[in-house]
Amino acid sequence: MFKKKGFLYELNKNRIMFLMIAPTLLFFLINSYAPMVGIYYAFTSYDFAGGLFGSPFVGLDNFKFLTQSGILLKLTINTLGYNVVFIILGNVISIGAAILLSEVRGKLFKKLSQSIMFLPYFVSFVLISVLAFNMFNADSGFVNQLLKSLGFDPVDIYNTPWLWPFLITAFYIWKNLGYSMVIYLASIMGISDEYYEAAKIDGANIFQRIWYITIPMLKSTFIILLLFALGSIMKGQFDLFYQLVGNNGVLFNVTDIVDTYVYRSLKVNFDIGMATAAGLYQSIFGFVMIMTVNYIIKKINDDYALF
Amino acid sequence: MRKGKKKLLTIGTSLFLTASLFAGCSGNAKTGETTSNTSTEAPTVKEEAVKEETVKEATGIDTSKKVELQFYMLGDAPKDLKLIQDEVNKMALEDLNATVKFNFTTWTDWDQKYKLLLSSGQPIDLIFTAEWTNYQSYAMKGAFLPLDDLIPKAAPKLQAYVPQDFWEAVKVDKKIYTVPAIWKEYVNDGIAYREDLRKKYNLPKPESLETLEQYLDGIRKNEPDMLPLADTEVSHVDSIRQMTTKTVNTNDKVPYGLSIMYDTPRDVTSYWGSPQHLEDLKMFRSWQEKGYFMKNMLNIKDSGSDIFAAGKAAAILGSENPNRFGDAVVKVKSLHPDWELGYSPYPNMKGFSSPVHPIHNGFAVPRSSKNPERALAFYEKMVTDKRYNWLTQYGIEGKNFEIEDGKYYKMLGDAQSNGFTREGMNGWAWRNPEFMLFDKSYQAVLDMFDEMDKIAKPNIFQGFGEDWTSYQAEKAALLQVEKQYLYPLNDGMVKDVEAGLKLFMEKAKKAGLDKIQAEYTKQWIKYLDDNNIK
Amino acid sequence: MDDNILSSRVFRMMAYLIITIFSLLCLFPFLLIISGSLTANESIIRDGFHLIPKVFSLEGYEMVFIFPAQLIKAYSVTIFVTVVGTLVGLFLITMAGYVLQRKDFKYRNPLSFFIYFTTLFGGGLVPWYIMLTTYFGLADTYAVLILPGLMTPFLIILMKNFIKSAIPEELFESAKIDGANDFRIYYSIVLKLAMPGIATVGLFLALTYWNDWFMSSLFINDVSMYQLQYYLYNTINTMMFVSQMATGTGVTLGRDIPTESTKMAMAIVVTGPIIFLYPFVQRYFVKGLTIGAVKG
Repeated sequence: MFKKKGFLYELNKNRIMFLMIAPTLLFFLINSYAPMVGIYYAFTSYDFAGGLFGSPFVGLDNFKFLTQSGILLKLTINTLGYNVVFIILGNVISIGAAILLSEVRGKLFKKLSQSIMFLPYFVSFVLISVLAFNMFNADSGFVNQLLKSLGFDPVDIYNTPWLWPFLITAFYIWKNLGYSMVIYLASIMGISDEYYEAAKIDGANIFQRIWYITIPMLKSTFIILLLFALGSIMKGQFDLFYQLVGNNGVLFNVTDIVDTYVYRSLKVNFDIGMATAAGLYQSIFGFVMIMTVNYIIKKINDDYALF
Repeated sequence: MRKGKKKLLTIGTSLFLTASLFAGCSGNAKTGETTSNTSTEAPTVKEEAVKEETVKEATGIDTSKKVELQFYMLGDAPKDLKLIQDEVNKMALEDLNATVKFNFTTWTDWDQKYKLLLSSGQPIDLIFTAEWTNYQSYAMKGAFLPLDDLIPKAAPKLQAYVPQDFWEAVKVDKKIYTVPAIWKEYVNDGIAYREDLRKKYNLPKPESLETLEQYLDGIRKNEPDMLPLADTEVSHVDSIRQMTTKTVNTNDKVPYGLSIMYDTPRDVTSYWGSPQHLEDLKMFRSWQEKGYFMKNMLNIKDSGSDIFAAGKAAAILGSENPNRFGDAVVKVKSLHPDWELGYSPYPNMKGFSSPVHPIHNGFAVPRSSKNPERALAFYEKMVTDKRYNWLTQYGIEGKNFEIEDGKYYKMLGDAQSNGFTREGMNGWAWRNPEFMLFDKSYQAVLDMFDEMDKIAKPNIFQGFGEDWTSYQAEKAALLQVEKQYLYPLNDGMVKDVEAGLKLFMEKAKKAGLDKIQAEYTKQWIKYLDDNNIK
Repeated sequence: MDDNILSSRVFRMMAYLIITIFSLLCLFPFLLIISGSLTANESIIRDGFHLIPKVFSLEGYEMVFIFPAQLIKAYSVTIFVTVVGTLVGLFLITMAGYVLQRKDFKYRNPLSFFIYFTTLFGGGLVPWYIMLTTYFGLADTYAVLILPGLMTPFLIILMKNFIKSAIPEELFESAKIDGANDFRIYYSIVLKLAMPGIATVGLFLALTYWNDWFMSSLFINDVSMYQLQYYLYNTINTMMFVSQMATGTGVTLGRDIPTESTKMAMAIVVTGPIIFLYPFVQRYFVKGLTIGAVKG
């Protein structure tokens, strides 16, 4: 009975559960794993006569455009930096907002404010960039009109690189707050009332309740969001950066990430090999990251690990 | 007003329905055929079998098996495409025992889709090519079938119709991969400006750099709320080159900061980093300081032509070719009758013009085609057979268009109710000068073309197909450096121009500028040799 | 009771204040978009955006509704795809999430990894495109709009987490002792108790389907099968192509398009209906807490 049994034994014992998860596994096998043969493109110089396996093998040549002018290090640092800030600030703010919202009593207020905070999620970055230009441009922008009327000197925001990490972070949080807040809100809903009852009997005040019950219960949700964010730490938010910054080279030093660089470099001569190579770099980076972090989490508390 | 519009729309729709009911008949009437096609299946098949013999003889290809051709064009499909397709198929079935399916990529991510279509191996028989779709690069990488042996066999009429020098001009590595269009057009830019303001303030016509600056200055002084220039990003830079040099290209630029003059094409020098470059950049800086440009032109999302058309700016350097200017004039006439637009084409300043190169519009047969012969035979019909040509360019006569004053095209209804507007299938490549119909308002553009014809020299630049395989990585890196360090200089955003240019050149060299320039020059000289251009 | 404690009251006041500020920040740009959609295009380009339109015009909406039949068709495609995709996807995701959090399912970790791994590595667009078109022949079918979007690793793992935290382990065990099979437990316990989580995941899935344009762009040739977002997005792209690319090509559009106001009108037309979905989902976020609040 206590002896470990083989796969077939498991299959038979849990056949219903296997059946329940089978469509999902099949889905990922076909939709995600099968096309992975395409990773091989990263090592070939594509030609149409040869296709995937008939094109000449070129080793690591396709990675050269990333390392060519020594830009890769800067891109990596920028991408990492932004994503770390996004993860920390984004989660802190949405946890905060979810807790505040869960403590508010007015039903209509609660519903209305929640809906409104979801609105930015629907605004595409194309539109956001149009509105941003309208606010920030040096000739007639809203911000500068305001500064002028208050007696300050106007600022040419699009020519002031140090402002942009703050602006981009602000836009990121603004746009995603509603979405990530819902996740935490749903987690808070899942917390059993019994905990709060018990706390009340013990005479805990509102801060203690939040600190000792709500926040610890959000830990597992946070870890999931964290792990998913870490896996794609070299990717992401292309539209945010590309639409807001566009081709304004003045800002590149502080705003260029791997995705925008790849897009700009390959826009004219889109090359399957080079695009795949760049993606592979991002994947491997994320993979190493995630394996490390998951390992650490598993050491501390197996329950929270992703796999 | 709005109600009326809506009503018109409904009427349009019902008309459309009725027309489609009758379409079968009119199609047959046109082909001079009896009703055999619309009757039952069996006789049709029999008749086809009989016809095969004659068809075979006419085209020299085997048409015994019925096939469906896959035809791909860029852009959006016209609303009535299905109707036109059915009409075409009636004829094609009879002539070639083939039907065609017209597919469109839309303009969303068209370049990515174009690549996918060609690399996925799905059967495609005809696809649009142009220098801006990277025809040469695709051809070099083996995406298309060589047509040299196919054309004489499958499309002899087409072969004769396209002049020999056009066939020569589209060759890549000595082989023909596309069927070029032969209609001659000019797509060079010019300065579009507000003639009414120019007259009002008695400013000179902007016909050279000097007079342009006077014009801009006058606008700045007299219309303080107006932007002198509508250009965004860096579109003005190439225009200044067109204005001040006899550069070999008609649009865009010679890449990688190289300078090649039309009269001495073998002298390839670097424009980037030259004293002239510094001088130009200093001028842009002074323009920025004088307020000729808007400040954040790298970030604005409105297009330059929109800004110009909205009356926010008084001139635009970088996006008005004769076609577009003609369009703008028509638009302005209806929206702002009190305005007047002026136009100074760059060829007048350069002293010569160049029509588009034959590769500018063409159709190729992709490697994945299952029926290359039939595809070419069909394309021959589209180009040389007036019935096919008119149907696919202008739609159905009497429904989509009619002929005015014996020679002009007139659209029926408006752009909304008409399901097939002029060149609704983006048929730039199968325009046939003999059959072409123009809108009356287009006469102005044709007149401009005539002017340019007078000073025309052959286009020697556009036919050159660069092979960047050996410096792909450098090219990608350089592109980034250019945007990061040169764009701000181009827009006068950098105070110390000299230091800025030095920094740019340093970074560009690090990215591999020298290697790229050397490789490009080598290929260019070889191209000149191969084509006997002195 | 603790409502009367000063600290709680101050806290709630602060909560109201902060949330109000957040909400205003989120609302303001949206008001600009609404106003922009009602402004004449020329005025947007000349004067920029204002909360009250400087020159009122409906031309943006006229452009969006230029072919009403096509627009309605695109709406119905999107609604169909969203409903079917969300229902089927939710069914599969909840099942997978449920199985993966069962402690007595031995392979839960390797299988979680199997699913998660696909977020890290991908073969890129080309092989995937070839597979769906050439091998499965899914081009120009509704299936291609629905199938590839049914599940994402993120939603599965999120679901697993929601179920885990909403339903105590003991409940499964006692149900098993009562003789319920694994599917029955899922059906009668999980689907009832994990509602806030299911609603959240369902909302996210529905939003993904609603916002999707990429599938239409890649796989659909037939205008009558376009999703709403693509139908509209494509109009913008056509305008952009003509303004950016066309100078060297000699292409003109032959009609005047109010670019900016159209963009804004599209955002309104697209966002409008889905916002009405949110309150339905919201029930699950508010109800539980009200009970808690009353008790507390």
